[in-house]
Amino acid sequence: MEFFLVQTLNGISYGLLLFMLSSGLTLVFSLMGVLNFAHASFYMLGAYFAFQVSAKIGFWPALVAAPLLVGAIGMLVERWGLRQVHKHGHVAELLFTFGLAYLIEEAVHLIWGRSAVEYRVPAELDGPLFRIIGSQYPIYRGFMMLVSVTVLVTIWLALTRTRIGLVIQAALTHPQTVEALGHNVPRVFMLVFGGGCALAGLAGVIGGNAFVTEPGMAAAVGPIIFVIVVVGGMGSLAGAFVASLLIGCMQTFAVSLDWSLAGIKISQVAPVLPYLLMVLLLIFRPKGLMGTREG
Amino acid sequence: MKSAIELRDVHKSFGTTKIIFGVSLQIREGERHAIIGPNGAGKSTLFNLISGRYEVSAGRILLHGADITNLQPFEINRKGLSRSFQVTNIFHNMSVYENVRCGVLWPAGYRYSFWHRVGGLRDVRQRAEEVMERIGLARRRNTLAGTLTYAEQRALEIGVTIAGGASVVLLDEPTAGMSRTETAQVVELIRSVTEGRTLVMVEHHMGVVFNLADRISVLVYGELLATGTPEEIRANPAVQEAYLGALHKEAARADGSHA
Amino acid sequence: MTYQPLNLGRWIIWGGAALLFAAAPHLFPGGFALTMLTQMGVMILFALSYNMLLGQGGMLSFGHAVYSGLGAYVTVHALNQIGAGTFYLPVPLLPLVGGIAGLAFGLLFGYVTTKRAGTTFALISLGIGEMVFACVLMFPGFFGGEAGISTNRMVGQPFLGLTFGPGIQVYYLVALWCFLGMAGMFALTQTPLGRMANAVRDNPERAEFVGYNTRHVRFLQLVLSSFFAGVSGALSCINFEIVSAENVSAIRSGGVLLATFIGGVPFFFGPVIGAIVFVFFIVALSGFTKAWLLYLGLFFVLIVVYAPGGIASLILMQFPVIRAGRWRELALPYALAALAGLVALAGLIGLVEMVYRLSDQGVSTVLQLLGMSFDARSAPPWIAFGAILAAGLASLRAAARRVGERWGAIQLELQAQAAA
Repeated sequence: MEFFLVQTLNGISYGLLLFMLSSGLTLVFSLMGVLNFAHASFYMLGAYFAFQVSAKIGFWPALVAAPLLVGAIGMLVERWGLRQVHKHGHVAELLFTFGLAYLIEEAVHLIWGRSAVEYRVPAELDGPLFRIIGSQYPIYRGFMMLVSVTVLVTIWLALTRTRIGLVIQAALTHPQTVEALGHNVPRVFMLVFGGGCALAGLAGVIGGNAFVTEPGMAAAVGPIIFVIVVVGGMGSLAGAFVASLLIGCMQTFAVSLDWSLAGIKISQVAPVLPYLLMVLLLIFRPKGLMGTREG
Repeated sequence: MKSAIELRDVHKSFGTTKIIFGVSLQIREGERHAIIGPNGAGKSTLFNLISGRYEVSAGRILLHGADITNLQPFEINRKGLSRSFQVTNIFHNMSVYENVRCGVLWPAGYRYSFWHRVGGLRDVRQRAEEVMERIGLARRRNTLAGTLTYAEQRALEIGVTIAGGASVVLLDEPTAGMSRTETAQVVELIRSVTEGRTLVMVEHHMGVVFNLADRISVLVYGELLATGTPEEIRANPAVQEAYLGALHKEAARADGSHA
Repeated sequence: MTYQPLNLGRWIIWGGAALLFAAAPHLFPGGFALTMLTQMGVMILFALSYNMLLGQGGMLSFGHAVYSGLGAYVTVHALNQIGAGTFYLPVPLLPLVGGIAGLAFGLLFGYVTTKRAGTTFALISLGIGEMVFACVLMFPGFFGGEAGISTNRMVGQPFLGLTFGPGIQVYYLVALWCFLGMAGMFALTQTPLGRMANAVRDNPERAEFVGYNTRHVRFLQLVLSSFFAGVSGALSCINFEIVSAENVSAIRSGGVLLATFIGGVPFFFGPVIGAIVFVFFIVALSGFTKAWLLYLGLFFVLIVVYAPGGIASLILMQFPVIRAGRWRELALPYALAALAGLVALAGLIGLVEMVYRLSDQGVSTVLQLLGMSFDARSAPPWIAFGAILAAGLASLRAAARRVGERWGAIQLELQAQAAA
């Protein structure tokens, strides 16, 4: 029972982390029609920047500085890269971000090397948060959940209650009208793209030390968040939320269960599960969990 | 007489907005049928329902007596119904010849073949040549469709639509945005290419409608107001009151004929 | 492309290609060149099969290595069975085994991936690729785990006196299959399915209204493409005598996308150029610098931004100008732009290599370049290379503007002539 509870909490905290990634991706996709292939690379950058900053000044400044830095890079990429290829269509934009993912990974190789760096959980957040019977639950997991929930609620409030949020929402469906009303839509695009990247960067800051900070982390997480976007239904935030928690819990449970089926352990199958889920969903419900559009 | 198309109490709504309220209509084989009505009456929606672009919310649609309700567009097309679009919808990066050929390949039986050399298919080439001749674009055969003039693109749109030899042809505002001489040419083109077929068209231009149509249906706010010959429609007081009066004066002013 | 009867020009091009395949090892003698040529042949086939999806069918796939890689795995088992004497097939026909295996997996996975088009197709292909990669590691019995499965191509009876021991025999085997594959794929572009794949790429909605199920067109196109991918996988298996998880990895899938796009997606022969450049990058450049992937990625991004038609489009653009005899006017602006580009490149290379020397893995912090040495821990080389890069970029900008002006003027005059 306590195993189940702890694993559920772990699954939810991982799922929330995934949602921090997939929500930015989804928002940018619905707003600009661009699937940012380099999204997970910004996650990785967040972790590496946090490693560098926390080594110099400490974890708390890094928690703020790293996402801002990543967001700034994202804005530069949008302004000087994506906007240039926009005229060639969405495939060109996707390819541009694909190339960018390559570049970021290679830059990380060059600067920080090919093996993992020692980005640790800060001492004040290290240790158990509570114990249930035999199992203990780490503080840091709780901290991760707190950060993700706070940020996500803030973003939700900002999108629904503030002026800029309303402009963004309007630009999602009617960019021409919003432009005609005198709003600077390219700047809204740049802000949202940068915001999505900053969110990915923040996920990197809190995920990089909970898991591991290495050059392969983008390539490991990237496909998972793309699967989440497909499973949730392209462009659906609610779908991405459900799919993130689902896959987060599924992964966590699969890794920790030692049941076996036909000689293969569940934990061995774990890496395949999200993709299997995607395949099954595509066969039986091609629109995705909450998707509205097909094609 | 057999019906080419039959609509039985067809409804369509998008979310909570109802667009079509129970339209029932029979279009006879071989007739030229025009659907008219004010903007927003649901004419194009009706076309999209018949051709399978949208799903029907309720009701049935029959083609030559067979149920085609909610089939995919390509399935409906294979049963002999072909349509054009209000906004020109052709293959812009292909030549005129290739555009027409796209319309010919499936009905000619080559389907998904990857064992025929398309250049060597004489029947396809002949049919495509014929169609290009008819729509007056034979000399533009190697021109990219995207670089044609607007009127030429509209003609090509009709060409792609009729190339496969469909028995029922739906034309969505074939004369939209055309000058008077161009319109006259298109009317003749439509008359000649739909010889021996069933034609259903949505058209705003009353001159074209009364010139071409054997029968006319009037659609107002998603409901069928009347169906009949041009004379009957012209004489129908409900139609005159609801719609035709105002439009007719307008058309008379523009045309100087059909008073 | 417009309708053309089989013409002389086409025969000359294909004849020339065959001749080039035959003569290449003599034009570029030596073992190193032969290795590179063989790899180029394999990559050309792979990239062309990829372009059946991206260029001809409008399907951006991030998982094409699945088909070549699984084709290679089946081939390696077939080859080992031949070695064990439990199965017989002449080695030169093994690529057929790979092709059929690729096709079978194309039928299986293509059914799922081609359900959707556009961006969603791209993501699903990526997911399928990851799934297959994970499965390959999960079943070491068949796939041999990380280390993979090795084999020996010199098995069975010599076929027509060929043992496939010497590299030159392998090269000609690859060249033959590459040529056949090229011809086959070109022929496919000229079939009803090939033409409708283009139609579905350009305007899927209209294709549905002329009777075509766009999903089925995509599916068939993918299945055919995976056959040729499988053939290329089999050839790489025969060439390297080992197949590992890397063969189905995202790195392979990304590589073929890079190669194809760099070459030029809109043209049938574009991927051939791309494959040659790509293999050159890998084989030649990776010996010089660890940052070769970075350079390749930069090159790719530049192509995406400035020449989305790839190298092929840059070359083809020149033909009308050359035909009009106006190319000489462009020679000087081109030369200046190339020079400026080289200067910028030198600055960039200097900076990148110094970053690499500074990071932990560098053997020493001293960079040897063109017989000079620079210490990455001191400031002057950073300033110098930074200045070179900035100067190069600035002059490249100016030179590019000059090329653009000249080019625009010539185009206008040519158009005016054509209209007159």
